[in-house]
Amino acid sequence: MTDTTIISPNNLPEIEYFHSINRAFPGNSEIMDFKAQGKKVFGWLCTYVPEELIVAAGALPVRITGYGRETDLDDGNAYLYINNCSFSRSCFQRGLRGDYSFLDGVVGGSTCDGARRLFDVWRRYINTPFYQVLTVPRKTTDDAQALYLSQVISFKQNLEEFLGFEITEQNLLNAVELCNETRGLLKKLYELRKRLETPITGAQTLEILTASFRMPKASFNAKLKHLLVALENSPVTYKGRARLMLVGSVMDNPEFLQSIEETGGLVVTDELCTSTRYWSDPVIINNGEPVINAIAHRYLSNFPCARMYPSEERFDRIMALCRDFKVDGVISQIIRYCVPYAHDVPLLNDKMKAAKIPLLNLDVEYGSSGSGQIRTRVQAFLEMMEAHKK
Amino acid sequence: MITAIGVDIGSLTTKAVVLDDKKIVSWAVLRSSEKTEFSARTAIEQSLQKIGLDFKIGLNIVATGLGSKTVTFSRSKSLTACLARGSNSLFPQARMAIDMGAESSTVIRINERGRVTDWQSQDKCAAGTGIFLEQMAKLIGVSMSEMDELSFQAKSPPEITNTCAVFAESEVISHIHRVPATSKEDIVAGIYRSILGRIISMCKRAGIQREVMATGGVALNKGIISVLSKELGFEILVPENPQLAAALGAAIIARETAGEKA
Amino acid sequence: MTTNNKLSSIVQSCRVIRKMSQPGPYQKSDELYYQNLSTYYTRLLKARENGGFIAAHTVFFPAEILYAMDIVPMHTEMTTWLMALFLGEQAELLSAGAEVGLAAEICSPHRGLAGAFTRGYLPHPDVMLWSNLICDNTAKSGELVMKLCNCPGFFLDHPFQHNNEEVSYLVNELKSMVRFLEEKSGHKMNWDKLSEIVARTNQQLALTNEINELRKLVPSPFAAQGFLKLLLADYLFPGQPEAIAYLQQLRDELKDIVREKNLNPSLEKHRLMTLFIPPIYMTSYLDRLYLKYGAVSVVEPMFTKWTKAEFNPSQALKSVAEKSYVIPESHVMYGPLNENVIKYVVDSARDYQVQGAVFWAFLGCRHACATIKIFKDALNEAGIPMLAVDCDIVDPTVNPEEEIGEKLERFFELLDEL
Repeated sequence: MTDTTIISPNNLPEIEYFHSINRAFPGNSEIMDFKAQGKKVFGWLCTYVPEELIVAAGALPVRITGYGRETDLDDGNAYLYINNCSFSRSCFQRGLRGDYSFLDGVVGGSTCDGARRLFDVWRRYINTPFYQVLTVPRKTTDDAQALYLSQVISFKQNLEEFLGFEITEQNLLNAVELCNETRGLLKKLYELRKRLETPITGAQTLEILTASFRMPKASFNAKLKHLLVALENSPVTYKGRARLMLVGSVMDNPEFLQSIEETGGLVVTDELCTSTRYWSDPVIINNGEPVINAIAHRYLSNFPCARMYPSEERFDRIMALCRDFKVDGVISQIIRYCVPYAHDVPLLNDKMKAAKIPLLNLDVEYGSSGSGQIRTRVQAFLEMMEAHKK
Repeated sequence: MITAIGVDIGSLTTKAVVLDDKKIVSWAVLRSSEKTEFSARTAIEQSLQKIGLDFKIGLNIVATGLGSKTVTFSRSKSLTACLARGSNSLFPQARMAIDMGAESSTVIRINERGRVTDWQSQDKCAAGTGIFLEQMAKLIGVSMSEMDELSFQAKSPPEITNTCAVFAESEVISHIHRVPATSKEDIVAGIYRSILGRIISMCKRAGIQREVMATGGVALNKGIISVLSKELGFEILVPENPQLAAALGAAIIARETAGEKA
Repeated sequence: MTTNNKLSSIVQSCRVIRKMSQPGPYQKSDELYYQNLSTYYTRLLKARENGGFIAAHTVFFPAEILYAMDIVPMHTEMTTWLMALFLGEQAELLSAGAEVGLAAEICSPHRGLAGAFTRGYLPHPDVMLWSNLICDNTAKSGELVMKLCNCPGFFLDHPFQHNNEEVSYLVNELKSMVRFLEEKSGHKMNWDKLSEIVARTNQQLALTNEINELRKLVPSPFAAQGFLKLLLADYLFPGQPEAIAYLQQLRDELKDIVREKNLNPSLEKHRLMTLFIPPIYMTSYLDRLYLKYGAVSVVEPMFTKWTKAEFNPSQALKSVAEKSYVIPESHVMYGPLNENVIKYVVDSARDYQVQGAVFWAFLGCRHACATIKIFKDALNEAGIPMLAVDCDIVDPTVNPEEEIGEKLERFFELLDEL
């Protein structure tokens, strides 16, 4: 309990590599090399866009993100207005300023107001050759599954028309295998964090996660496999004053976790659109089922975003993670104007209270480095938890 | 034969412009007094005296700016309308004017006829204005023109993160007292950048359309114009006497509406 | 009991306003308007003692279903707006919403309605119904209300795009909801009644379109901000006799005005398009300001301008589903914002000979504000300037009245100069 976390780079070359991929994004070498081969790159937003279809089409799926740090968002503000989340404004500004000019297509879903308006404004002002927004139901009933499946099928058909060739069952199967492999490896990574002393910090984990959707998966998987071997018996371990879980929507700035971890807490797991929500659930193909059905099913029934109904499901999954990772306290970081997640706050507060798990609610801007006031509050949170234990 | 006079009553200075039927024949800039009518009258008197004329009631005058509606001897017109006409007269190709005054800044979109089609203004916050610049110059211990020259010599301007003038001031002070102290030229450049952030936001909110020109007293600072042009990515047009734009516009409107009641 | 006091206050306010009504061209329709409001809230007040079943629902919700099942509807956002308007108790409601844990960035009517339940301003409903039409705020309001009021609820998932498949999905959702309501209320769905409601909806739409056609005239025969009253019909009385009665009366009044040439063209200086809606609490202030400057809102594509649509009463449920797509907000603000929608708005401006547009940038409504640039650019291209005014629908502390007034005045001057 009096142990403090040792934050020092454990000199893992794969993490350094992922870091460089992230820093150079969107124009990083992996993406540029892929394009240089004459292949196509599609940008996607939200965990409700099936990456497998893009992979099956022989293209590279790349997650659209913003700058990953707090910065002037003049163009974002002018086009999306000041009251749309800084994530959507940041993404749009990058798009407007040409950072995503290499994209052959953008794909999104009717997931939340910020996302759908981002796509509306993108379509009007940025010229990306292929464009599709999928209707994503907010329920996972059979009817909803059927509707979403037909959306995914239409996505496949549009891709085929755009690219000029058919996406076969085998293509889809291979894509599922590849993406499932990524998921499996990330799962293994997280298993390591269940240990009392973990070989990897939360910040480093996020570095790995964000790279996973910024480079070809085959290359990523190979590197992660290698890294996992090194981590399995890593001599360097981390143990925090407290085992923390970070929840919220989009978080792609490892600096934020670093700031938290510098206070002595260790982030051992998380519930983020860029982490567990992204990889937790594999695509499972039932006997005789068309692969695309399995894909659609997985994506709609995925670890839910706050937009889905009932919110109970999201909370249940958070609680399960708390248990599995022996979490001492939860930190919720909600981007200002992120409406779906903001509405969950009172409900999540009650759930955590009932489970006697301390919860810290933070209002942040997308790209926050977690310094200053935030770090102070995390510090106070840890002290409060420790005092309580005594 | 003079045909019209325009007077722009600002918080710091009052500007008067006198026209004949073709061009500007005289102008004057004075420090504003507390009494609006007095400021307007004095500025007009001075500009008339330069060409050997006296002020008299019944002259064709349009006033704009602070308290212009209360001036008894003139008609009044909104500041943005005057700015637009004056800007259009100075640069007919201008479709956007950035007016940076002592206490407020305004961005207007102008059509080919010199009419305002959109405006964004900022007058609650001191940052981005002449008075703020004066304060900063005092803090650093230089004159305004020295400060402007320094801005070109900056090597690595710090980010002055606070757009609020009050907080920006304390940030600047901390830069001065830092060990080692941030160089004066870097501080100045940092200040300029943070001021102009607000201006750029307004431009984008209005929708940037070239050509873009600058007006107002602050536009006399070459360093400011340089940074603004760099941020926007193209050269901004600056007239010889940018602080006269609104008064000129007022005079043009006066000439057009001669004989009309207030 | 606090609850009854607040609802009674709304009813009483309506009574007082009707008593104070001045003779004028819209006197009768105004009276009907307040009478209808009164009816709605009296019904709600007396629901418990009459053994009625109360269903609270979010905005743009197919309340036709409730009427067909003899269930007492309670429009949560509208009621919160009215409390802001009549009682001026926004601060109380909003701080109550904050206490429950709702962030300040959440749209104020939704913070307010949560607050209204905790403070007992609204009666606890028997069920809470909500849908994702039209935004994340409505989509996420329900579960908290269920918790606060300890009642069951149903979330109606309204799909994003308008095509046969998605309409079918919606119809199935409606069927599920009907089953849910039958189970909870013990009332059976009266399908004949629903068909009648659909038939009346056709009439309602036809009347609204007639009124909007008349508003095209120069000068426009309707009050400067009369459109606010048009909202009530569909929000509170969709397909109901009250809506028909009001619209008929208003239509007749407008026809009279036109026929008797009772309009002074010089009083109409600025024909405006209104995008989104102005702060509810500023209604009187804006009426006076608009009057002073001769400004009139002649068309509101997001809120009151309906496209031509007719529904089949014998396919009642499908009609209710289809109708939800054509309500103005849904048509313009839901679904992908593509060229058709943009053209629709610009064409409306042209058809109504609009000189300028005012976009009420309600800071709690992110999906609306995200359209500001798109509509501004499109309107500017058509030579129509647009003013965006930052505001809040119910919270007066966001942008002071005077500042809003000043901006409008400057805009009117700008229009004068053009």
